[in-house]
Amino acid sequence: MRRWPLAAPYLVGSCLLVLAPLALAAVLAFTDYFGFVAPEFTGTGNLTRLAGDRTFWDAVGVSALIVVVVVPLRLLLAVGAALLLARRRGARTAIGRAAAYLPSTIPDAAWALLWLWILNPLYGPLPALLGALGLPDPGFLTTPWGARLGLALVMTFQVGEAFVVALAARIAIPGHLHEAIEVEGGSAWFAMTRVTLPLMAPIVLVLAVRDVVVVVQNAFVPALLVTDGGPANATLTAPLVIYRRAFEYGELGYASTLSVTLLVLTGIAAVFPLWLAARLAARQRTRA
Amino acid sequence: MSVRVEGARKEFRTRRGAHVVALDGVDLEAKPGELLVVVGPSGSGKSTLLRAIAGLEGLDAGRVVIDERDVTGVPAGRRDVAMVFQEAALFPHLAVAANIGIGERARGTRRRDIGARVREVARVLDIEPLLTRMPGQLSGGERQRVALARAMIRSPKVCLLDEPLAAVDTELRLRMRGEIRAVQRSLGVPMVHVTHDQAEAMAMGDRVAVMAAGRVLQCDAPAELYARPATTVVARIFGPLPMNLLPAADGIVVGVRPERVTLAEDGEGRAGSVVAAEPAGEECLVRVRPDDLPGELLVRLPWAGAPHAGERVTVTWRPADEHHFDAATGERR
Repeated sequence: MRRWPLAAPYLVGSCLLVLAPLALAAVLAFTDYFGFVAPEFTGTGNLTRLAGDRTFWDAVGVSALIVVVVVPLRLLLAVGAALLLARRRGARTAIGRAAAYLPSTIPDAAWALLWLWILNPLYGPLPALLGALGLPDPGFLTTPWGARLGLALVMTFQVGEAFVVALAARIAIPGHLHEAIEVEGGSAWFAMTRVTLPLMAPIVLVLAVRDVVVVVQNAFVPALLVTDGGPANATLTAPLVIYRRAFEYGELGYASTLSVTLLVLTGIAAVFPLWLAARLAARQRTRA
Repeated sequence: MSVRVEGARKEFRTRRGAHVVALDGVDLEAKPGELLVVVGPSGSGKSTLLRAIAGLEGLDAGRVVIDERDVTGVPAGRRDVAMVFQEAALFPHLAVAANIGIGERARGTRRRDIGARVREVARVLDIEPLLTRMPGQLSGGERQRVALARAMIRSPKVCLLDEPLAAVDTELRLRMRGEIRAVQRSLGVPMVHVTHDQAEAMAMGDRVAVMAAGRVLQCDAPAELYARPATTVVARIFGPLPMNLLPAADGIVVGVRPERVTLAEDGEGRAGSVVAAEPAGEECLVRVRPDDLPGELLVRLPWAGAPHAGERVTVTWRPADEHHFDAATGERR
């Protein structure tokens, strides 16, 4: 039996839901489409406007900042939890693994609203806790940097999928490699930095790329629900700008230009880590 | 330098909760400069014994003494032992040279000082051209040579080998037996080599310990083990072919090796019919069902003139080739 028909449902789905809209957006990116009258090509008009669009480029800056802060934190959490929970130690391991995955089962909007409550300056538990400890309250929803910090917090803990993948990568490392280091007198730190992490590196790099994409995209829901882009556009992320252009100003053509631009930027950010991951994986493949 | 295990006991609990006694009071010593082979079927506890010496496995009772120092509670890294694993345990992300030197790096030697030693060990084992390769590009034999080099580089107090030749093809295995012997001689340290292959044990060991069900049944020079097995179990485990065991009068079991059974020219002996005859090169393995006994006799005969299945034969052996065992305990009488 040929096997490719089994992929048909997925192929049909991705054509209808991903590739076709993407192609459409790529075409609309060069039009003045408003949704009511047929789109007209405007040539490079949208690109000229894009080049001078301070709001969008500032939002790209905010998104990039969030990525630079949040992606390493998320990887640290996911990989760290995977390393700690790799060995089976009965119920403790099971509870730990469930706890690491659990935040990811909460819908994004519910998660965002939960954090809106945690961070709010009037009766939020986190500002209250910081106050009780005598630490300064950064003003999670009220000051520009406090709001950015709040947004980063919202986006840091939902690392369930990355945790599961990192756990699988950790468990796939043969036990006798660590035993060899143990017999040779290597410390736990030596084993982790010279064996475990280098062997997990290709998968962690792929996870990093995936996280960049997820964080860029997901910085929409909390930015909309928790901070609404504010204060003073401090948390106005790129997807939120695109959403407003498209659905508040109705500029579907120009919003498509922004969308495709964001896609290209994300793609550029992904090229190097993916190339490095492939190289490292090829180097350590056990059988030539 | 010697390594000694005294009264070692180790129990495991399986997933289903059953108790397995992996080591049941094991006493064993590898004397200075000695190559001790531990041979036994899978599940006999031989790997657990090796891991206990290395410090990868704790003991429930008993002691491990290396170079007259009790190391029972000492972590693996401070026992000064080298170990070669069955799958070679090479680090796939490191080149061969880095693999050989990783132990030195782990113990904090500077990279600059390791290079010369790595090249020296590689020259001894004839793997210098491989130093820049990655483990994924090596054959099975080359991988084990690299693992051996990694064990050699630290001049350990004892060298432990966990079935290093199990995954290597026959021709190379025969050659590497000799190489491992040579390495052990040049290091002059005691080596404990675990294997399930009795031919390997016989070929390599100064002495051989036969293990079954967590106990050492006998520990002796290979020739002595072959000539005077202490129990029926040893007689069946150790030797090119399992010994024939025949129930006899007075609670005695008579053992006779298949290689010592011959066809009776004059018809004096045990009559029976040939069940099967397997060619084995110059020889032929013949299974005979005697008329007066249950079970079968294994007989090794020269290929020329060997009987075929279904033929009637009479087999015999010299009384001097008989081994006598107690039927109840299985011990030699």
